[in-house]
This record gives sequence, structure tokens and C-alpha cells, in this order.
Amino acid sequence: MTLRIRFAFFLLMLCQFTWAQSDSIKLKEVVVSDSNLKKYSTSQSVQVLNDSILDRNQPSLTSLLNFNTVIYFKENGLGMTSAPSFRGTTGAQTAVIWNGININSQFLGQADFNTIGTRDFNSITVKAGGGSVLYGSSAIGGSIHLNNDLRFKNEFSNHVFFSAGSYNTYSANYRTIVSSDKYSLQVSISRNSSDNDFKYPGNSDERNINGQYYNTSMNTTFGYKINANNTLKAYSQFYDSERHFSLTSPNASKTKYNDFNTRNLLEWESQLGRFTSKLRAAHIGESYKYFPSITSNNFTYGKVETSIIKYDLAFDVNDKIKLNSIVDYSRNKGYGSSIDNVKREVGTASLLLHHLLTEKWDYNASIRQEITDNYGNPFLFSFGTKYDFTSFYRLKFNASKNFRMPTYNDLFWERSGNPNLKPETSYQAEIGNEFFRKNFTLSITAYYNSIKDLLRWVPGEGGGDVWAPENTDKVRAYGAEVLVEWKPKFGQNNFTINGTYAYTVSESQQLIKNELIYKQLIYVPYHKLTGSVAYNWKKLSSYFQYLYNGEVYTTPFNNRASKIKDYNVGNIGVDYDFGAKNSYKIGFQVLNLWNENYQPVTSRQMPGRNYTIYINLNF
Amino acid sequence: MKKFNKLFLTVLISSAFFVSCSNDDDNNDEPRGDYENGIFIVNEGNFGKTNGTISYLSDDLSIENNVFSLVNPGKITGDTPLFIGFKDDAAYIVVNGSNKIEVVNRYTFKSIATVTANLNNPRFIAFANGKGYVTNWGEGSDPADDYVAVLDLTTNTVTSSISVVEGPEKIIENDGKLYVAHKGGWGQGNSLTVINSATNTVVTNFVVGDVPSDLVKDNGTLYILCNGKPFYADVETAGKIVKVNLSTNTVSSTLDFTGITHPGFLDIEDSKVYYTIGNNIYSMAANATSLPATALFKASDVTNLYGFAVEDNKIYAADAINNQDPGEAYIYSLTGTKNKSFTVGISPNGFYFND
Repeated sequence: MTLRIRFAFFLLMLCQFTWAQSDSIKLKEVVVSDSNLKKYSTSQSVQVLNDSILDRNQPSLTSLLNFNTVIYFKENGLGMTSAPSFRGTTGAQTAVIWNGININSQFLGQADFNTIGTRDFNSITVKAGGGSVLYGSSAIGGSIHLNNDLRFKNEFSNHVFFSAGSYNTYSANYRTIVSSDKYSLQVSISRNSSDNDFKYPGNSDERNINGQYYNTSMNTTFGYKINANNTLKAYSQFYDSERHFSLTSPNASKTKYNDFNTRNLLEWESQLGRFTSKLRAAHIGESYKYFPSITSNNFTYGKVETSIIKYDLAFDVNDKIKLNSIVDYSRNKGYGSSIDNVKREVGTASLLLHHLLTEKWDYNASIRQEITDNYGNPFLFSFGTKYDFTSFYRLKFNASKNFRMPTYNDLFWERSGNPNLKPETSYQAEIGNEFFRKNFTLSITAYYNSIKDLLRWVPGEGGGDVWAPENTDKVRAYGAEVLVEWKPKFGQNNFTINGTYAYTVSESQQLIKNELIYKQLIYVPYHKLTGSVAYNWKKLSSYFQYLYNGEVYTTPFNNRASKIKDYNVGNIGVDYDFGAKNSYKIGFQVLNLWNENYQPVTSRQMPGRNYTIYINLNF
Repeated sequence: MKKFNKLFLTVLISSAFFVSCSNDDDNNDEPRGDYENGIFIVNEGNFGKTNGTISYLSDDLSIENNVFSLVNPGKITGDTPLFIGFKDDAAYIVVNGSNKIEVVNRYTFKSIATVTANLNNPRFIAFANGKGYVTNWGEGSDPADDYVAVLDLTTNTVTSSISVVEGPEKIIENDGKLYVAHKGGWGQGNSLTVINSATNTVVTNFVVGDVPSDLVKDNGTLYILCNGKPFYADVETAGKIVKVNLSTNTVSSTLDFTGITHPGFLDIEDSKVYYTIGNNIYSMAANATSLPATALFKASDVTNLYGFAVEDNKIYAADAINNQDPGEAYIYSLTGTKNKSFTVGISPNGFYFND
């Protein structure tokens, strides 16, 4: 019922936008930070979110992806810990790739999507489905790619973004690009903070207590063309944040959490005839501190340092056949309150082939072997093909085996970690249909995914307080995704209309009263829908965003009483560009337009209607 | 619409019944409330979520879930209720994660007060000398901030606190003294504290065994079930049953479990001790000097025994199942025949007899 009302509203908004315009897309000479993503993902669903989308969304990766993709988020209150479910998988089965390097936490095996800012990146790419051959552990449900792409041309530009919103929410970002045809430098600094003390929507007089947070990040990307055949690139990121975790009951103990992450990557690319060699060395540091009570200085902590060396040799056999061989060695060392100075070494070798059979038909086939002492040595593969039947219809097929390795906590947690764990493995297949016209694309993808040896922490025999990790369940997930984009233009009125829809069934077997029954995984909605309409007319632009999350179960046996109800959230924004030569925009946003009262997770309230004003200067 | 009509009819008919029932029931034994007698079951819910609830099982074996919120609209039990203590006409629900005690009338379950000040990680409550004594962990990782809060039962405020060693858990009263088992917070405790309620001071603290988790008094003796240190501890140890002489406050005897057995729960009924290992139920004479070799029976329906009691020739077992879905409460005969089972709330932890 409510859904229908929202749709009516959605349509109404659409009508109002019939007088607008859009950023024209300029072609830039860009050096992509992750070229393999393009080359070996042609048979899969890939969605690129560019800087205009990054600017208009809230700076957290959760908010960006929630409103623009099929990925469902289990967010423990605004700004608090947040885990994705991509195609019915868990947070640890979604890989986050920073300039080609997997940065999922070594402790939890997953990234907290509220500790990744979006404004430091040029583009963010969402790739659905298996990607373990290229990106390793966790790329089961899909992968999120954070890209810093470089331009080699004479340029000096500055970008300033500042916003202020309800609950003392401030966001600032400064980005500069200094480049010539020889070198290119990009520096980006971001700061976000909020008191986050919103009043619960509805009639309640309760407030969000202890939800304040801040984060600061800096990203530097540097490229240097030594000569025509050699390029050196350096990427660096620092991220520092403190979050007080929102309380679920007014007198609960107040806690806080610090994250500090550093990421550094050096890359040397040389071109030797038909060979391209890429040597990469990376260092990733992650650490956290948890204060169970903010009134005391007691804390628990953990720290992992990871070093990676990766060598990628590409060979273009001819115009049609491309080969890549990649060897990769990574070593990490972790310690902390419950991790006792342990080391893990992983080596991998991959072979990738891309073959253009005809103008219309290509395929790729890849294999990967992983070698380690700490868990099994999985062999992975991927095969995909794409065929253009007509000028407006293309068919894609992809099948792969993927994996997730046990995490530091799983293996090494003091006295309950289990050294005999196997990695999770997944076999999956998908079929994608793409329809396209000049200003229109529609893709419909159906998939099936079977995951075994799922890693879970379960209570010990006979109950009690002792939980330990095990390879327990099996999950079967299947569903369909629809992505649509339409960019109609009527005179000076430019529209961009985007929509996504996902239908997801993801089930594991549960023993209920001595009977094995398949039940939907917790926090996986059967339905998720997003939509957006952007409208530009001369110097005025506006947009409307819509999100619908279907109801989810919160218990393994799918208890109906504790289901979380579905919710609809809409945002609206308008900005005006008052610059003559440069772009100087001032804008206004209303988030949660109809004051929806919702909790994505049990007891975790989200804010009602709230407001943001921003300026966005490019010069 | 059809459904609604049916419902309406049902309500109409049943209300007629209720009216006639209460007319017939005009005995001199005036009922004091809907929840007189019967058993409360505390369902912890999940830590960090406010989905803890209280269930009520009446003497005629009908179950009503979520009674606190039903009787007190707009109020919730909160985050991880652990225990209900009874004193006079009141029941005190200790809610650990929400740092509060909900005080209700034990017969009507109507709210009387909510105590929130000066509680920090409250666990259990006992009563002596007209006061309530509430064990508090403070911060779980801090060994120096643990205390027993003294609750003034007339004003429902915490008036003072008694500092104790880490991890005070179960507490019971005997003859004006309070006995506190130090299960150990996030670590593993091994001692018992005795508090004099006349002076609110610690009389003594002595070692009883690793991880003392259940306290029952019977016939001048305090029976303490010690779980033993778990496998993730520095050294894993076996559990034991320790008997303390309540007049001398010293350990009078100890029954050791063999190997590295970790027993779960303990209760005493009619001079018989009942305890559990996994979902096996054992029994022995209270004065037995050795542990029985075989179990009384195995509660094979139970997957995750989380609460246990023996009362009026019945054995009660709470099954938390997966700690996320609603749990089950089972009633067995003393010989292990399953009589009845009920679906209750999430993570049921025990049975609190309102008599």
C-alpha cells in the first residue's frame, strides 16, 4: 500500500522535472588504476558511479551504494558499522578493491562501509558476481572498486566541496590536480563529522544518544612518465575515524571505536613491444581500538600489517588474443588484545585469457591457484563469454569458482580460533541480457550461486558462553537483477533516469525440531528497488532519489514476529551553478523526504527528515 | 474481513465466558492479579538489542509471552534482562545491557519504578535487612570497579555500594548475610564473598572453585556449582560442586567432576541435588559423597540448555536453540518423561516461581 503511494509520488516528481539539463560528458585521457577490471569483466555486470553521482550523495559508501545499486545494507544506525549483502551473500563475501588491491579487514574479512569515504575517489565501480580469480578472497557476491585515475595533460584544477546539515553534520572535501604530459598529481582531503543526535521520527521523544562521529582522510595519487615506455605511479591513503556507537537503550554503557588505516601502493609499468609488465608493491595497515566505556581509558585493540608484491605480465598475442599472468605474494602480521602476534603468508598464481573471436563475440577464461600454510589451497577458475546478437541486444554468460579465506579472528582468536578451518568456496553462474540504444540501456541478469563450508561462529556443544568458528552451513542463492538507465533530452531539458531492482533468494539449511528446512538468510530482503531522476536545465539541476528495501528476517529460523518491516526513503536536491567560466554550485538537499520511521537493523533507529546545504566549487 | 468478523465473534463469546467465570469464582481467596502463582521465564534477547522479554507460564499451563510490555504499554523490558528477584509484593527485573532494574508488582506486573542511577552492568539481586543487593560488573574488562549496589526498597534508589573483587554474579541471602559468587566478568573468577547486611561490609572472601555459577542453599549448606575454566582459558579445568557450611562460612566438602567436564546448572528439591552436563540431567542425594555415574535422563529435545530448575516434582529446561530465534521451555517429570513444551522468547535463561 505505502509502496504504491511512494510510486505515485515518484511519478509526480518525474512530471515536475520536465524542464531541465545535464553535465555533458567530456572525454578525458585517463589512465585507469585497474585495467584488468575492464579487460576481464566483459561478461559480467559492471556499474560505474562517476563523480557527479559521488558529489550529490552523502559521503559514506553505505549511502552511495544503498541509493544507486542493488546491494542491500545492514546498517547499525546512521554512520555506525555497516555490512553489505550482495546477491544474497554476507558482508564478508563482498570484496572492496582499492586501486586493484583487496582491502577487506583481515580481522573480520569484510569492510565496514561506513569507514570508507567516497569523495576521495574519481569513480567507484560495482561489479556483480564472482571475481576471486582477479581479486582474491571475498569476491563471491561481488566487488566494489575504489578508483583514483590519473590524467597526463596540462592541468591545474581545484575542487572545493563543503556541506552543512542537520545535527551539526559537516562535510568538507578539497581536491587538486596538477599535471602535465610528464607527471600527474592528485591530492584529496576529506573531513566528515556529525553530532548525529537526531530525534527519533514519530511520536517518540527519544533521541539518538552517543552517535557522534568524525573521520578524516587523505588520498594522494602521483604518476610520472619516466619515458614513453615506463610509468611510475604511487597511491597513498590515510583514514582516521572515531565513532561513538549509538545506544539502543537510554542507560546502556556508552562505547566508542577508533579506526586508523593506511594504504600505500607503488606501481611500475613498462611497455616492451607486445608485453606490458606491471610490478606493484603495497603496504596496508589496519588498526582499531574499542573502548567499552567512554568514561574509562580501558580499551581492546587489534592491528594487522600487510605487505603485497604483485607482478602482472600482459602479452598481446595479436589484436584479438590477450594473455596475462599474475603472481602475487602477500604476508601479514597481526596482533592485539586477542590475537597473539601471528603471521600469515599467501602466494597466488593466475593465468588470464581474453579472446575476441569475431567483432561480436568474445570470451575470457582464467585460472588461479592459491598457496598457503594456514588453510587449504583453493584452485579457482572463471569463464565468461559475450555475444552481440544485434546492434541493440547482447547476451553474456559467466561461470566461476570463488572463495573466502578464514579471517584472522577465525584462525587466530586467542584460544577459540580454529586452525583447521577450510576456506568457503562458491560455484556460480549467471546469464546477462543487455538492451541498448543511444540514450538507453537495460540489463537483466539471472544468477545461481552455491556456497559451501560457510564460516560461522556458533555456540559450543551444550550451550553456554563459548562460541567458536566452524565450517558449517551451505547456502544456495539465486535471483535476478535489473539495471536501467535512460537519458532523454528535450531541447535544453536533460534527464538522467536510473533504476535498479533485485529479487534475491538466499537460503541455508536449518535443523528445526529435527527437520532440515531451507530458510532465507537473515538480513537478505527478497526485494530491493532504487530509482533516481536527475534533471538539468541550463544552470539549474535537481534530482530525486528513491530507495525501497523489502522486509527481512532477523533470525535463522525466519521467525515472523521479529521481521524488520520494509521501508521507503526518498531524497531530493536542487543546485544552481552561478559560475560563468568555472562551475560554482550552491545546493540544497532534503533527506528522508517523507520522514520515514525505519530501522535497518533491530533496535537501530535512523533519522527522520533532515536537511543539507552545500557549495561545490571547481576552478 | 471474514477474519475480522470471526475475531469479533470470538472476543464477544469469550468475554461472556470471562464475565460468568469471575462471577462463579467468588471465593474468599481473592486473586491478587493475573500473574499470581505461575512461573516467569526471563528471555534475554540479544545483547545490544532491546528484544529481551518476560514470559508467564500459569499454573494451568498456558503461556503468555512479552507480559511486561503487554501490561505496561509503551514500556519495553530492554536489553538483556538476566534475573527476576521477588520481595514482598514486588518483582525486580535486572536488565543488564540497559543498566536498569524494572520494579513491578509481582501479581499484576504493573510497573512501580525503573531504577537507573548508580548501576553499571547489573547482574543479579538478593534481599536482606529490608534492602536489595545488586551485583554489578562495572566495565567487564576492569577488575577494579566491581561492586554490590545497595538498593533502598522504599525509594527505589541505590544508596550505597560495596566494593568487591571482579565479576560478582549470583547472589543469595541467608540469615542476614549475602553470598556472592565471583564468576569473573570477562575472565574467570573462583571465589565467594560474604557480606554482612547490617553493616554493608565484606565479612570474608575465599576460594571455592573455578567459575562458580550457581548458588543454592539447603538445610544450612550452600551448594555452589563451579563450571571449571573453559577451553579458551589459560588452563582448562574441570567443574566441581562445593559445599559451604553457612554457620561457619567455610568449605565443608567438594565433589570433583572427572576429566575436564563442565557442568551447567544446579538445583535442589526434596533433599536431592539436580545438575546438568550438556543436556544430560543428573540427580543424587544431597548428602552424597560421590557423583552419579549415569545420567537420570537426556533432554534430547533441547539443543542449547540455557536455563534449568526443579520444582514440585517437575524438571524445567529452557532451550535457547540458536540464541536468535524464540526459545523453548520444556517440562519433564522427575524420571524424564516430557510433559509439555512452550515457545517463549529469545534466549530463555531460567524459571522464576512466583509463590
